[in-house]
Amino acid sequence: MIRATTRSVYDWFEARLGLEKTLGPSLTHAVPQSAKWWYVFGSMTMLLFMVQVMTGICLSMVYVPSADEAYASLEYLTYDQQMGWFLRSLHVWGSHLMIAMMSIHMLQVFLFGAYKFPRELTWIVGVLLFVCTLGMGFTGQVLRWDQDAYWGMGVGMAMAGRVPVIGPEIVHLVLGGPIIGGESLSRFFALHVFIIPGTLIALLGVHLLLVVKCGINERPTPGVLVDKATYRETYDREVHRRGMPFFPNAAGRDMIACGLTLTVLFVCAMMFGPAGPNGRPDPMLIDTAPRPDFWFQSIFAVLALLPPYMETFLILGFPLLAGAVLILLPFLSGDGEKHWKRRPMAVLFVSVLLVSLGSLTWLAYQSPWSPVMDAWSALPTPAQYVKGRSPLALQGAIVVQNKQCRNCHALDGQGGRRGPALDGVASRLNSDQIIRQVIQGGGNMPAYGQHLTPAETTAVTAFLMTLHDQWEHEPATGRRTPRD
Amino acid sequence: MIRRLFMVLCGSGVVALAACDWMPGRPERPTVDAHAPTMAFEPLWNTHCAGCHGANGRDGAARPLNDPLYLSLADDHWLHMITTHGVDGTLMPAMGTAAGGPLTPAQITVLIEGMHDHWGGAALQTAPPLLGELGAADAGATVFASHCAACHGDDGTGGHGAGSVVDTSFLALTSDQALRIAVICGRIDLGMPPFDGRRGLPPLTDQQVSDVVAWLAAHRVAHPGAPYPAVTSQGAQP
Repeated sequence: MIRATTRSVYDWFEARLGLEKTLGPSLTHAVPQSAKWWYVFGSMTMLLFMVQVMTGICLSMVYVPSADEAYASLEYLTYDQQMGWFLRSLHVWGSHLMIAMMSIHMLQVFLFGAYKFPRELTWIVGVLLFVCTLGMGFTGQVLRWDQDAYWGMGVGMAMAGRVPVIGPEIVHLVLGGPIIGGESLSRFFALHVFIIPGTLIALLGVHLLLVVKCGINERPTPGVLVDKATYRETYDREVHRRGMPFFPNAAGRDMIACGLTLTVLFVCAMMFGPAGPNGRPDPMLIDTAPRPDFWFQSIFAVLALLPPYMETFLILGFPLLAGAVLILLPFLSGDGEKHWKRRPMAVLFVSVLLVSLGSLTWLAYQSPWSPVMDAWSALPTPAQYVKGRSPLALQGAIVVQNKQCRNCHALDGQGGRRGPALDGVASRLNSDQIIRQVIQGGGNMPAYGQHLTPAETTAVTAFLMTLHDQWEHEPATGRRTPRD
Repeated sequence: MIRRLFMVLCGSGVVALAACDWMPGRPERPTVDAHAPTMAFEPLWNTHCAGCHGANGRDGAARPLNDPLYLSLADDHWLHMITTHGVDGTLMPAMGTAAGGPLTPAQITVLIEGMHDHWGGAALQTAPPLLGELGAADAGATVFASHCAACHGDDGTGGHGAGSVVDTSFLALTSDQALRIAVICGRIDLGMPPFDGRRGLPPLTDQQVSDVVAWLAAHRVAHPGAPYPAVTSQGAQP
């Protein structure tokens, strides 16, 4: 009885919508037999996007996009609203996982040569989707409207302001004025909730259409080349002969992968909780150390480390160059070998990219370029560097603290790492060299000649000259021998 | 059967989780305003004092304040004043907001009370007063010879186990008052004994302390800390 009723309702809708005729062929279109577990990352990314849309809609019911009330509404969501923290947690971990899955998807497509003929447009639309996703990440971070958000927006706008001629206009347009103000949050809200997601959904539709129209890339075989004249014919023949329907075979694998993704997402959200909000976005609070989200940490490191003369090139030129290379890639190598084993440059490129991003991200978390501002008063001189020192050397140790040398120079692994550690400095420099370095500075170190009395310089030199390496080179033989 | 049992277990698990109010990632509302001034001794000490005076008030580059003798002799009002304003001509910086430092008067009071609570002891009647005037340098030379020369050398330039106390740069960075405190309280964390009448050492009187400090202070020079003492503005000395 129930089954019959359900069937008749379904038939009523189907008679009008005709979904079986329109969507049916797409669901059951043949895909290569070799499309197995390597092909699930795209579906995982799309699932995460759906999670983002759903959690985002729920968040927007409570979040107030006004500069005055945004922070309070976030605090309400995080601490007072029933399961509000979990919603925020799902949204932020969803964003992390979405960018991760999209990156893996892109790398897989690149290494499997799936961007080559006839899937050039699929790749280009994918690149645009990636840019939109990063845009969602950045604008989402700004909507968190805390210290990280405020300064992140400041850095982003300072970069945009460097664009020749129209830079100030771009900043004005995005911020709603020359500086970060009440309208800025509204504009970022519009970007995050309407403009970028709208673009994303449209591009995603095109991407899916192209995936169906151009077919799923077959798993590459070394030595089997893409020939634009014969590829389509060969592909259609192979898929027709040995392919399998997308639903349920490939779709089943996608669903298992999506189930795993949801599990990982829920566990991360449950275990690690939401991000921030980290302090009110008040530029007068100087006791703060704002940081971008994980995915922008490598850019954070690059911006901190790059020499001034490269700034404009790296900030404006590099993204353009990277974008141009990604867009032009299918035209530059649109045919030929697909398998990574026969594409050493592709493997080299991916390796260099991953090592660079990994190293920069690691450096960003260490941020050795930032002085440790309270080291001078909070990190004691290590006890072993105090014992057995003369009264003058002890005064020198106080000079090291008092003049805030420790903020940049570590002792026994503690302190800033902007300058070299001072352990063993007496084995590297003699007293004259230490005096010269202290007074005149050099490298990144400012000159302290104007800030130290002769007595202080003598004392600090006396102290530093007691800091010998445990092992020292013998100048005559070059051997390393234990000191004392 | 097994499938049904599995479904029941999963269902119960979901219901149990839904009822669970505790999860590791759930953030707690910060109970204290992150920007409100700290009013507890240990974080104040560890942030503002430990750098020079040591993690536990000892083994730092500067005078140990984890010293019951010093704390019993030092007047709280005087401690408050030097913490707030620092000591001119020495490396003790002004830490009070009144002098541009980070600590409010109430925080400095917390620090002083905390030092007494954590490290203080009963007052010692035999010790000379902590604050005093300079005495006679000539008499101080005798006191130095009898009480200090064994470690610091006959002329004070360093000897067995202790360094020079007449180095002009050292004296330039050390106030007379700090020298007096060093003579009375020693540096118990670094092995210099206090001359307060305990430990079998001959005690020093108020006058003797004033005299020996005067002898030390007499070694101060107008332009201390020339890195090459043999070189003057007129050139190398013969």
